[in-house]
Amino acid sequence: MLEFLKAHFWHPLTHVEFRINRSDRWFAFFSLTPALLVTILVVFLPLLYALYLSFNKAEVMVVGGRGSVQTEWAGFNNYLYFLKDKSFWQGVRVTLYFTAVSLIIELVLGIIVALVLNQEFYGRGVVRALLILPWAVPTVVNARLWGLIYEPQSYGAMNGLLQSIGLTSPDNAINFLTSVPVFQSVPILGQITSWIGSTSAINWIILSDTWKVIPVVALLVLAGLQTIPIELYEAAEVDGASAWQSFWLITIPMLRPMLLVILVYRTMELFRVFDILYILMAYTVPVVAIRTYQEAFAFGLFGRGSAIAFLIGLFILLIAMVYINLINWEED
Amino acid sequence: MTNQAKKRLWKRRLSRVGLYSLVALILIWTLAPFTWLFLTSISTQAKLNAIPIQWLPNPPTFEHYLAMFDPANETGKLFLAAMRNSLLIAMTTTVVCLIIGVPAAYALSRFVFPARNIIIIAMLATRLLPTVALVVPFYIIIVGYIDPVVGMFDTPHNLIILYTSFIIGLVVWIMRGYFATIPRDLEEQAMVDGATRLEAFWHIVLPLTVPGLVTTGLLAFLLAWDEFLLALIFSRTPNAFTMPYFVFIVGSSQYYQSPAAVAAGGFLAALPPVVLALIFQNRLVSGLTAGAVKG
Repeated sequence: MLEFLKAHFWHPLTHVEFRINRSDRWFAFFSLTPALLVTILVVFLPLLYALYLSFNKAEVMVVGGRGSVQTEWAGFNNYLYFLKDKSFWQGVRVTLYFTAVSLIIELVLGIIVALVLNQEFYGRGVVRALLILPWAVPTVVNARLWGLIYEPQSYGAMNGLLQSIGLTSPDNAINFLTSVPVFQSVPILGQITSWIGSTSAINWIILSDTWKVIPVVALLVLAGLQTIPIELYEAAEVDGASAWQSFWLITIPMLRPMLLVILVYRTMELFRVFDILYILMAYTVPVVAIRTYQEAFAFGLFGRGSAIAFLIGLFILLIAMVYINLINWEED
Repeated sequence: MTNQAKKRLWKRRLSRVGLYSLVALILIWTLAPFTWLFLTSISTQAKLNAIPIQWLPNPPTFEHYLAMFDPANETGKLFLAAMRNSLLIAMTTTVVCLIIGVPAAYALSRFVFPARNIIIIAMLATRLLPTVALVVPFYIIIVGYIDPVVGMFDTPHNLIILYTSFIIGLVVWIMRGYFATIPRDLEEQAMVDGATRLEAFWHIVLPLTVPGLVTTGLLAFLLAWDEFLLALIFSRTPNAFTMPYFVFIVGSSQYYQSPAAVAAGGFLAALPPVVLALIFQNRLVSGLTAGAVKG
């Protein structure tokens, strides 16, 4: 069951049979140094610098094309500011909502699509090849593309579609990307959606974002499905298991490592979402990445920007640690 | 035919119908939005404003595409610059990442040395760390300290360096997996026969990993092509801005002309990655399986 993860993600020291000799030591040194230098200079030092900046009030002055940086020690003020800021926590809730809902949709529909594609039908190869298309569309183009579809006029594609099937009338074009929370007319549900920040806009944007990701999740799951030996299902059938039972008792457990990897990667991708929300909604959906960008580059508050940036980095690294530990733990 | 057999036959036919409807649904859902982008791009303004909605442009117009490739046109000038920058930046980033990352991946897959696991985890971390966590320090370092000495802001080489930061980890991570599948006996045999480590790596291991190199390079290229946040912050002029930045400004700034122009720009920006992905579909899926990359 763990062959997949073992083969691709973890090579314990015990698997390396031969010891390093003197000439190999130089080879290893020269082949690793450039990559390490780049990583330290372009990733880890900037990250440490972000930590330093987050304890400062930092400003950048650009005069005649020449920039200069002023910093002033601020202690924990930047962090305290966010802890006390209600709109920041609203942003955290929206980010978590976006992440969780997208993740569930991607996994459930991804598995369903993969199960369909795992059947034999005419033209299967072509359908499978075409499924990679949405994933290859750049995120910025994806944003623009759905912006056109959600056009709040009767000539927009989504409005046109709803009108063609008679759900809405041409006089009342729907504005999909509004910041009004959904279900406002339902008493308790309406309060919950306002608290979470589940607006009409974010829900439609989740649809567009999942459009891009579901097919590739399906292709990955399909690759996993094809490694499951058919004998397992035959044996289950002989034992009188229903299709539903063999799905939960064979398919899901066999896909577990693959699903775990998808889950972790997607969590990290979704938590940092920026492009599509910034392009379609500017600053009106305050997910953490947009808030960071806004504090630093719209308000010029680089200390505060660094504080959130560092918190996001830390959070993502924590997920990564959990993930690495999970793999180790499953191996024991 | 007995009643029982008839029933079974019908059941099978029905499940076939169900299966094909599901496949059709998946296919329509996957292709419709991108098709709409293309249809919009070849529409006239009159067709776009028609109520009730007119699905097919009649007659189609290619004026927006022609404008993109016309250097005398304002939008065309920006488009051509963005296309040139994107090709330059994505290709250079890919080559740099492969040159630096592949030897490192090989060393990490073959040798045991102190801190090896720490390096592996650090490489994974660079892959996972969101760009937004690094943009603020990047900006201050570049604008405040580097730019006054050497020109960095709004240059292609700046973006190449920054893109390397998040793509190198991916290259090391995936290539390490490919090297692990190559049996060590091959190099050991060559080295017994008198080849040095470098020769064994260059003449024996590397040719065997060509499929892996292609896949990894392709993923690196696609990631670099797709990047938006860094391009948004670190480019201002046609000197450095990339296709995603172009698609952004053509839809929402003083450059905005019409939905059809935005669609044409978007379609052209999506064309290189979409064509590459369709050609190398199988390779990409196996590469993604190995690295479970981006979304």
